[in-house]
Amino acid sequence: MIGQRIAQISGDELKIEEGSLYPGLYRLERRGWIESEWDVSANNQRAKFYKLTRAGRKQLIIEEQNWERLASATMKALRAN
Amino acid sequence: MSRVKTTVDFIHAWQRPDEIAEEVEAELSFHVQMRTSANIEKGMAPAEAQLAAWQSFGDFDRVKVSCCEIKRDFPFDLKPIKMGLYIAIACLAGAVALIAVNLPHHTPFGVLWQLIAIAVLMRAFLIGRKKQDNATK
Repeated sequence: MIGQRIAQISGDELKIEEGSLYPGLYRLERRGWIESEWDVSANNQRAKFYKLTRAGRKQLIIEEQNWERLASATMKALRAN
Repeated sequence: MSRVKTTVDFIHAWQRPDEIAEEVEAELSFHVQMRTSANIEKGMAPAEAQLAAWQSFGDFDRVKVSCCEIKRDFPFDLKPIKMGLYIAIACLAGAVALIAVNLPHHTPFGVLWQLIAIAVLMRAFLIGRKKQDNATK
């Protein structure tokens, strides 16, 4: 599950309301950055699986760069004081 | 998602809103179900696990409505479409002006064309000015 995975890889620093992920996922899919398909899960239940598209990977790189720039600028501003 | 698939999904979302709502509900319910199972595996009692799953999910109905709305949102950026419309209006205005200039001005038909040309040019001018005002705000 995406929410659990985010919490896991962030060392439990990022805990988000799980339901709020879905509107975000739907928007990303609408923009063509992820795609989904219904399939059968490991426990034999019908589930929806999401994966990044090629456009999504490109956008991820752009977003990472934007985030690094913003975080770096914020740190500079904080340290200046 | 390709533009074709996006368009098909958009039309489908408007044609069959109930089907989309059911699909969204199935996905969200599956999430809660999986979370409940994970909580049970962690050692919670089933009732407690389910309650915790619903709590960690948040407002189910609000999320469901929000997801359905996103499915029904127009899927493309409107700017290029609007830009195309303005270019079409400008071309139309140019064509009408060209026809008006080349018609005899003293006939009723010529006067009618001139009036149409003035109206279309005025419209194009007003749209252009409004766009410019919006851009400078």
